Amino acid sequence: MAGSIEEVKKAKKLYLFIGTLLFVFTVVTVMVATIEWLDFGEHGFDGVDATIGLCIAAFKASLVMLIFMHLNNERPMIYFFYILGIVMAFFCMWLIGLSKSDPIEYGNESYSDGFYDPSKPATDVHGN
Amino acid sequence: MSADPHDQHDEHHHVLPWWKKYFFSTDHKTIGIQYGLAAGAFLLFGFFLMIVMRWSIAYPHEPLPGYMSWMFTDGWKARWLDDGKVTGETYNMFGAMHGTIMVFLGVVPLGFAAFGNYVTPLQIGAPDMAFPKLNMASFWVYLAGGLVMCMSFFMESGAAKSGWTNYSPLAGYADKQIVNQFLAGQTQWLIGLVLLITSSLLGSVNFVTTIIQLRAKGLTWMRLPFFVWAMLVTGFLLLLAFPPLEAAGIMQLMDRVVGSSFFMPSGLYSASSGAAMDISGSGSPLLYQHLFWFLGHPEVYVLLLPAIACVAEIIPCNTRKPLWGYKSMVWSVVILGFLSFIVWAHHMYLTGMGPVISTFFQTTTVLISVPSVILLTSMIISLWGGSIRFTMPMIWAAAFLPMFGIGGLTGLPLAFNLADLHLHDTYYVIGHFHYVVAPGILFGLFSGVYHWYPKMTGRFMDNFLGHLHFWPSLVCMNLLFFPMLTQGMAGFHRRWYNGGEGYIEKGVEGVNVFGITVAEKISLNEIMTGSAIALAVFQLPFLVNMFISYFWGKKVTSDNPWDATTLEWATPTPPGHGNFTFDPAIYRGPYEYSRPDHDSDFFPQWEEPKRDAPAKEVEVEPEKTTTMV
Amino acid sequence: MEIPFIVNARKDTGLFNSKVGIWLFLASEVTLFGGLFSGYLFLRLYADYPWPERALPVLPGLINTFVLIGSSITVVFAWAALKMREWRKFQIYMAITLLSAGLFMVLKGIEYNAKFGHQAVRLQGGGPVQDSAIVEGHLHYAELNDEGLMVEVDEDRKKEDGVFKANHVLIKASEFTFVLTRPTHEAYVKEILDQAGDRSKISLAEPYRVIDKDELNAGQMNRDQLSNTELARIAEKGSELSIDLLDKLEDAFLEARSHDRKIRTEFLAASWDWVRNVKGEEEAATFIVEKEIWKDRRAEDAEKLKILSLRAASEVTFKVDPPLTLVLKPGDLVKKVNVGDLSAKLRDDTLVSGEVLPSPMIMGVDALDFRTTAQRAEAEGLDPVPVIEETWLLNHKAHHGSHDDHGETEGADHRNEFKKIWDCHMAWLKAETERLEKKGRVPTLNDKYRVNWDQILAYQALDYDVEKVYEQGKSRTLERNGLFDLDGFAGANHKIHKGKFPHLEIPRANIGFEATFTPKWNTYYAIYFTITGLHGLHVIGGALVLGYYLFFGRKMYDSNPEWLANRVEVGGLFWHFVDLVWIFLFPILYLM
Repeated sequence: MAGSIEEVKKAKKLYLFIGTLLFVFTVVTVMVATIEWLDFGEHGFDGVDATIGLCIAAFKASLVMLIFMHLNNERPMIYFFYILGIVMAFFCMWLIGLSKSDPIEYGNESYSDGFYDPSKPATDVHGN
Repeated sequence: MSADPHDQHDEHHHVLPWWKKYFFSTDHKTIGIQYGLAAGAFLLFGFFLMIVMRWSIAYPHEPLPGYMSWMFTDGWKARWLDDGKVTGETYNMFGAMHGTIMVFLGVVPLGFAAFGNYVTPLQIGAPDMAFPKLNMASFWVYLAGGLVMCMSFFMESGAAKSGWTNYSPLAGYADKQIVNQFLAGQTQWLIGLVLLITSSLLGSVNFVTTIIQLRAKGLTWMRLPFFVWAMLVTGFLLLLAFPPLEAAGIMQLMDRVVGSSFFMPSGLYSASSGAAMDISGSGSPLLYQHLFWFLGHPEVYVLLLPAIACVAEIIPCNTRKPLWGYKSMVWSVVILGFLSFIVWAHHMYLTGMGPVISTFFQTTTVLISVPSVILLTSMIISLWGGSIRFTMPMIWAAAFLPMFGIGGLTGLPLAFNLADLHLHDTYYVIGHFHYVVAPGILFGLFSGVYHWYPKMTGRFMDNFLGHLHFWPSLVCMNLLFFPMLTQGMAGFHRRWYNGGEGYIEKGVEGVNVFGITVAEKISLNEIMTGSAIALAVFQLPFLVNMFISYFWGKKVTSDNPWDATTLEWATPTPPGHGNFTFDPAIYRGPYEYSRPDHDSDFFPQWEEPKRDAPAKEVEVEPEKTTTMV
Repeated sequence: MEIPFIVNARKDTGLFNSKVGIWLFLASEVTLFGGLFSGYLFLRLYADYPWPERALPVLPGLINTFVLIGSSITVVFAWAALKMREWRKFQIYMAITLLSAGLFMVLKGIEYNAKFGHQAVRLQGGGPVQDSAIVEGHLHYAELNDEGLMVEVDEDRKKEDGVFKANHVLIKASEFTFVLTRPTHEAYVKEILDQAGDRSKISLAEPYRVIDKDELNAGQMNRDQLSNTELARIAEKGSELSIDLLDKLEDAFLEARSHDRKIRTEFLAASWDWVRNVKGEEEAATFIVEKEIWKDRRAEDAEKLKILSLRAASEVTFKVDPPLTLVLKPGDLVKKVNVGDLSAKLRDDTLVSGEVLPSPMIMGVDALDFRTTAQRAEAEGLDPVPVIEETWLLNHKAHHGSHDDHGETEGADHRNEFKKIWDCHMAWLKAETERLEKKGRVPTLNDKYRVNWDQILAYQALDYDVEKVYEQGKSRTLERNGLFDLDGFAGANHKIHKGKFPHLEIPRANIGFEATFTPKWNTYYAIYFTITGLHGLHVIGGALVLGYYLFFGRKMYDSNPEWLANRVEVGGLFWHFVDLVWIFLFPILYLM
């Protein structure tokens, strides 16, 4: 955290620069999403686009955290709080996402929702 | 040191108006007591609902006796009885509200908010919480949330009725016939929940900040009483686990009020209206369960840790020897807190999660028993070789150990996927967690009440009434909860409103094995119901005790009546606004009992060492490290 | 008493209280949005319908991103100004921040408003895949003519009395039956009375009675006397419907029921005592079924119970004279009704007896969406295109007043306008597919099976000439410069393109599911509104706090400028967090 007046003055320039970077990367995200010759991967939206978009967003978010929120110059305890929050949020997302990708299979029919179509022939656990 | 709280505060001796002193107070002690009284009232109400339910289980065809039914007859707005009998729907409603009230409105506020508020700032030598106004807001938001939930008993729809876990799609559909959804009990529950979560977020931010920032001089991390450690971890649990449930609560609120389908799958059909439901579908009930249990499991430790914390304070004080394994207990509680975030799906083995994810959660669940066992073992070993004073708090604390032990050990089979498939949603589960919460946690909290009552009021609680409270409670608790384990293993389902009567088979043996098993075990219901009513009766001595001891109890003769070592006993009795009459400084660890190099058998944290004491104790060193990891 | 470390940092932690507090709060906010993002991820990954990718107009979101980033810079500048003790500059920067917050919310409001006014319908009927073709558009307005039938009116008249959105159910009501166990009738009764006005009289069909209770309680009557006694009249036949009257009836009913239940309860309790006393505790345990008790009790006791009971009806019927055409929202009915049904039930269990009149939805359609149809057809192993062409939408006969009248006069073309649009779209798709093939790519599901408002307008401009569409599709002159089209700022604009969008009347039977673009429509809009709504609340909350420092901070500044600087830093941290959340929200909701 900038303490003295000189440091604050210096930091102001940095803030402007970071702000500009954020604007630029926002434009880049939109361009990647809307302009056809910048459309990586398959035509239209796909995993590649999602990855690029989220990477740019993550980069922008780290700029905000590090510079605007002064995390680049902060006490380790603050890191601890924040990282704990992020770790928990990550567990929440990751495990929840994982849970449904690993359903109990009933033959070929997944009935992890509690619903399966009784009109389809039931198969035994070996898929016969 | 003087017992008069006003000595130090002559300079601002302006008298607060009574409503500011007792109602809108920003003093952590008043707020703690407010929390305690409100939570106590909610506990009694939740207990009352439970007795009604137990009556229905044991005597499903008999009208409720008048002393139970008075609040719910047709003469009042809460018309939930049918010819004086409890119906299935009413049972569901009471069951849902019993769980909700006990967990969210009773035990958490009592343990974390009441004890935490009263004791934590005193133990760390702080004048108040870091954000006193936030503290007050936290209490009033909590009370509003609680009242919103309970008020719904008197609405057309009745209170929430989809279990305390409020699973969708049931919870998304119940009470849908109510035109104005904000007047439906099921919606009120969610609104109340969002208020409660907001309250506990405010509270937990306050607690953690207070513990980090407002520790007295020399109170380094490893000199913190275990109580404060437990509160710190609890604070973090509430802080990080509650928000996903708040998200889920908001989503379910949207489902109910604006008709979205967050948790409503495609293809739902409503039997009551005879048509497909008018929703878009594609939501997932599983998502709700995940978000709920992401809070739900840490919540178990939010319930538990304050009770363990109280017991951990009381045991060294009454055995007159240090807490055994203080450091390992601290690390255990920290690890316990962390692990508690990644065990939640063991509540969901039956939802169709696959083997990979089940194995993950099974492993972490078994792992978390390690720190729990360390905590309990350390406290048991602390008794070893101590000259135990069987004071009232110590008796409760001593009973806590085996009772919580039973609760914990009966949990092990539930951690394993295969065993859980059989036991899920049976009375075994009910027995297990009630052993943890009722004779476990509540005994721990009772011990806390008896322990700190002299500090709060300047008078001891009566011993005879204490014993009259303790022994019957201990017996009744076991008679109430142990048969549940038996019934549960026999397959009794937890949501039978008539105790399983519909399943009884009187016919030939071997035809309907389950029916015969039910017939064998169903008579246990009457024992349990009788015990529950007796248990209620034997809480009266406690209530009487609290009341009469406030006026006529034996007065304390010093500010430190138990000869304890932690800082809260250095304050005047009861502590005034601002707590301390001197600037507290800490010279040693929290449990310095029976030190051979000291004349008395306790060496308080705040007592300045004698001049000829070893040099290292003279230094009043604020901690140098800046991080807690 | 003073709490330490409010302004100055504690030495060993290096932090002041509110900074610790705000960071803890932010950590909890991380898990709050973590929970919501988990919801988004889960709902999207496992959606059983085609997730609406890039469904929102990008421009408002983009501007809002700029606004928030800009305000992040100004808020940190405001803090820097305080650090340098420049009060005036602080005021300016903070004011800009607040204006940005305002601008953000205004744009949000415009976006929300466009969604709330945008209708979507999942149609059913036609072809092997039911309940799947989707149309989007704006509802038209209608009123009742003299015969009580629905006629369309111009949008300019939408604020007039009696004009309603053309998505209501019309019932020729001749009778209402209210259920007295459901005590909250106010909203519907008021609505019914409003609509009845002076035209119809709604009056009680039968007198409402309960037995005179006082006499009974005094024990002055037996069963024989009872049959001759005049029943206590609560309301006479012909009393006019009012909320007060219903309240009175409800009170009478509930009181009577309460009386009955009380004596039944007492009787039941006494019976159990009797069973215990007579049969003994052991045997009583076997008396688990209530009926056995009643059977064993002396017959005259049971008779007494009957006599003591009051008998009040739990339902009351009101006649409507002459029958009234009631205009009801579909959501007020417990289940869907079809034309010709003879009754409908309101959400409060009130039964409306009377015939359901034709009450189609009338709308100007600005998008066709067959993605669900295609997805379900493929799941069944069918070729999507023929399945789509069998749907009701592309086959129904247009009703009066629609734009394809001139088509029918030519005699040759029996296609409705939607079929024409679809044919044009197939032509465009062919051109697009060929173009993409050259690059080794394939069109998306969106390209194939969704016709957007701009495409509809473009096809219409070419007079639905398939050849021309193919040609222009090849040369890519059909495409609009999507991102910066101001007439599509918040989606299809029915004001600018008034009257151009095809007119569609959907009979009740063909409506599978309908909603405006609110959380009800699908899980995408549900999570969109929830997350952005919550984010918007954070913006408002942050703005309130920062506004407090701007307008009431002077006193704090004068007493200790560092104190205010700390406060603004803390408020700023929250503000940056709000920005940070938006940085993720913008791509996942607008661009993905």
